[in-house]
Amino acid sequence: MKVTYNWLKDFINLKVAPAELAEKLTMAGLEVVSLKELEGDFVFEIEITSNRPDWLSVLGIAREINAIYGASLKTPNPKEPKLKSTQNPVLSIENRKDCPFYSARIIRDVKVAPSPDWLKKRLESIGCRSVNNIVDMTNYILFELGQPLHTFDLDKLRGPEITVRRAKSNERITIIDGQQLLLDPEILVIADKSQPVAIAGVMGGKETEVTQSTRNILLESAVFNPGLLRRGRQKLGLQSESVYRFERGVSLSMAKQASLAASELIVKFASGASSGFKSLGYTKPSERVIDLDPLYVKRVLGQTIPAAKIKQILSRLGLKVKIKTKNILSVKVGDFRLDLKTPIDLVEEVARIYGYEKITRSFPCINPGTKTTEKKVPLNLIKNTLCSLGLNEVVTYSLIDRNLLVKSGIKIDKELAEIVNPLSSEQDILRPTLLPSLIKCLAYNLNQQQDYVNIFEIANIFSATGAGVEEKLVLAIALCGTNSFLTKQGLVKEETGLLHLKGVLEVLFNKSGIKGFDFIKKEPGKISIILGAEEAGFMLDLNSPALNNFDIKNKQVVLAQICLKKLFSQASTEKKFLSLPKYPAITRDISFLISQDVAVKGLLGLVKEKGLPLLYSAEIVDYYQGKQIPAGFTGLTISCVYRASDRTLTEDEVSPVHNSICSLLQERFNIKLR
Amino acid sequence: MDINLIQEEIKKDLAGVTSRQGLEEVRVKYLGRKGLLAELTGSIPFVPAEQRGVFGKQVNALKNSLLNQIEEKEKELTAKISVPDKNFQDIGMPGIVRMPGALHPITQMIDEICSIFNRMGFSVVEGPEVETEYNNFTGLNIPLDHPSRDAFDTFYLKKYSKLLLRSHTSPVQVRVMKAQKPPLAIIVPGRVYRPDAVDASHLFMFHQIEGLLVDTNIRFSDLKGTLELFAKGIFGQDIKMRFRPHFFPFTEPSAEVDISCIICKGKGCSVCGKKGWLEILGAGMIHPNVFKHVGYDSKKYTGFAFGMGIERIAMLKYGINDIRLFFENDLRFLKQF
Repeated sequence: MKVTYNWLKDFINLKVAPAELAEKLTMAGLEVVSLKELEGDFVFEIEITSNRPDWLSVLGIAREINAIYGASLKTPNPKEPKLKSTQNPVLSIENRKDCPFYSARIIRDVKVAPSPDWLKKRLESIGCRSVNNIVDMTNYILFELGQPLHTFDLDKLRGPEITVRRAKSNERITIIDGQQLLLDPEILVIADKSQPVAIAGVMGGKETEVTQSTRNILLESAVFNPGLLRRGRQKLGLQSESVYRFERGVSLSMAKQASLAASELIVKFASGASSGFKSLGYTKPSERVIDLDPLYVKRVLGQTIPAAKIKQILSRLGLKVKIKTKNILSVKVGDFRLDLKTPIDLVEEVARIYGYEKITRSFPCINPGTKTTEKKVPLNLIKNTLCSLGLNEVVTYSLIDRNLLVKSGIKIDKELAEIVNPLSSEQDILRPTLLPSLIKCLAYNLNQQQDYVNIFEIANIFSATGAGVEEKLVLAIALCGTNSFLTKQGLVKEETGLLHLKGVLEVLFNKSGIKGFDFIKKEPGKISIILGAEEAGFMLDLNSPALNNFDIKNKQVVLAQICLKKLFSQASTEKKFLSLPKYPAITRDISFLISQDVAVKGLLGLVKEKGLPLLYSAEIVDYYQGKQIPAGFTGLTISCVYRASDRTLTEDEVSPVHNSICSLLQERFNIKLR
Repeated sequence: MDINLIQEEIKKDLAGVTSRQGLEEVRVKYLGRKGLLAELTGSIPFVPAEQRGVFGKQVNALKNSLLNQIEEKEKELTAKISVPDKNFQDIGMPGIVRMPGALHPITQMIDEICSIFNRMGFSVVEGPEVETEYNNFTGLNIPLDHPSRDAFDTFYLKKYSKLLLRSHTSPVQVRVMKAQKPPLAIIVPGRVYRPDAVDASHLFMFHQIEGLLVDTNIRFSDLKGTLELFAKGIFGQDIKMRFRPHFFPFTEPSAEVDISCIICKGKGCSVCGKKGWLEILGAGMIHPNVFKHVGYDSKKYTGFAFGMGIERIAMLKYGINDIRLFFENDLRFLKQF
């Protein structure tokens, strides 16, 4: 909404400089987003919140300035004109719910011409194009009083008569901007005897618009159903200054007053003669009475504002205030303030004008005890663990292109949650897995010449079910490329693979206090992650078609996704201290060659079983394939730690056990000791 | 064996020692398990009985003297350590370490904001991203056919006429208030969605943090105090703060909260649009209609709510000029935080 300093002065005795006024308006809730000097005047551009249709007018803003400064407000009071003849228009309203009030005024023998300069200049200063004197004067009243008006060429109205009704199916209208629109019964129109001549409250029709040749006009001022007009103009894809105000609500008394003010202007500047008037639905607007207790004001604001001050503020806002018994204020609200309905609305008015900045800050007494969203392991523990292992957290869009899913080759056995109104196909589904987003992110980074990309994300995945859309919080990890790191021996380069991913997950599970976890190969390139007895996720080695689709060349990409609900169900943050060993351990390594066909997990299990009770732990500390090792074999070193809790073990006790383990391995797995 | 000759040899050996390692070699040579002293001690039984006493004492004296000399030498070497070792590497060489990863700046921002409110006594609560029309709008006093909805363009879901992607974190207010009775002190971080055309400051997905405090005696003045603590915690003690009246359907009185521009300190620059102020959040006293929807008695309870965009706060705090950077996830960007 634009308004000028001089225009405001028509209504209020302004003594403050424009810049100061702008600051005060902003701090009263009328945010001045720009202030520009223009040919001896100043143009304020104000952002008007949707609850204040009354501010969409010069008068409304002047009323606000009156409340801030207490300068006296000049309210217009146009008189009903004497009619030259009494040929009143023929009106009907199909449904009063759609149109509670409609008035039509006939003005004959107008001279349509360009507007006088003062009018042109005012309209142009607030960004409104000048059309002709008749149209300009109705626009002038719209901006000045906030009531949209419309003028028809009376001689082009069939009948002449006016009906406010719903459009019939397949009715058409060409509106003033030349568009032809197809209408339906959800759209309210103004019709003459045979067809629609305007989209009610939105835009007039081309056929009946006021032109150079117009002699007689019909001036419309009405109140329409805001929701109906809003739905209608959204459906037609139209917007106008008029419907913008109707949607937010106009006042009945202003509708009446604006019609008079416009006809006064037209008669004065376009030399017409008022010669007929008819209105339907006018009732004297009842004033709403709201009781306000100053103690309530204090209870909400935390600031004592004396009853007299409250009374002053509300009175200056144009409300009628009386002090009732026991310091209760009785406030009468005119229909120019449709937004004021309950005491809290008045509290806001008092606070706004009193000044938010004058309310002394305080600190609340906060009672603990709100239930939080329970997570067995704080998400931050998971995130920080992954970061400490070198991974970077990413945040990617929950809305993705369904083709991204196809590109990644990841199979989804659940129904997709689809968006009705995506901005583009790139955001047409809620993702059922995080992995395609991570692959995309990974490919992007490889493209930026990153050799090593190690990322994770924690977010919801979605699927459509009979009961609604299911959301599942998951962790996804993607690793790819060559990690280079400096050691004392120089630069080491390491190709990332599934065992790196496994290592990350093992640390994470241990940190989360998960007792039993396992990795089981289910199908080529895919490994199930088992937590407790349940499958909680999977690891996979991205296949080459998918790698090609993402343009990833000569690189292995390994991925994991884990359901966090399942992780939480196995996790525990409880910690328990185990005594440190009192007696030293004896460590013996076994280095040997073993066929690659033997799975080491079973082998280790057997070693541990055989070593009981002296064997404290057995771990693979080295493995090697390649030079010096015959094809089909792996060089393996198992480190066995023997320990007793009640004494220092001797070589004589350990050797037989250790030797029996070696013999067992030779017997069972045909290992060759090195 | 001549004890005196051994004494001489020890002296000579020790004189040649320049490092701890050298000293250790000498110690092993004489005092080790198979060292000279062990050998001497072992030979005591074979010494003729009449000389045995004297010899024993001599061996003992030798041992003590050796221990003393080694101790002295050790002190001497320790003192020398402050002298640069010629084998010491150039400290300008890169340190040897495995690089840790980084938390996403949005996570870091959320953590920082939550920790401030946690210290005040607020608890973190989360809610679903797919919401009902009721929780997202009606329950928050936003009529479906009112222009106040224009601020909340919304993605809807196929197959479910009343389901949508939440356009703000406020529906969690409705959920929590319906499930629990006051007192309530919560903050709600999360993803929100709006079909906005994408540019440097708009995206169809971003993050918000919502705050809610309900009790028998919560006042607008408390809101001012709480948010000032928050803003100073994030942007520093020197910033100024102002509350500007505004309109939100779910709060009344409502305010937009500005801080003095952190770039120009309020003088006016391109970041603040020459205004000297930066809008950082919206807030207000919970509207009695919202209480009515969740079954709270507004005669008994009052409360405040506030909400802010995480990306906006992070962009201001870190000086990031394009919101899309957060979701591009370029490692060179992520590793800066």
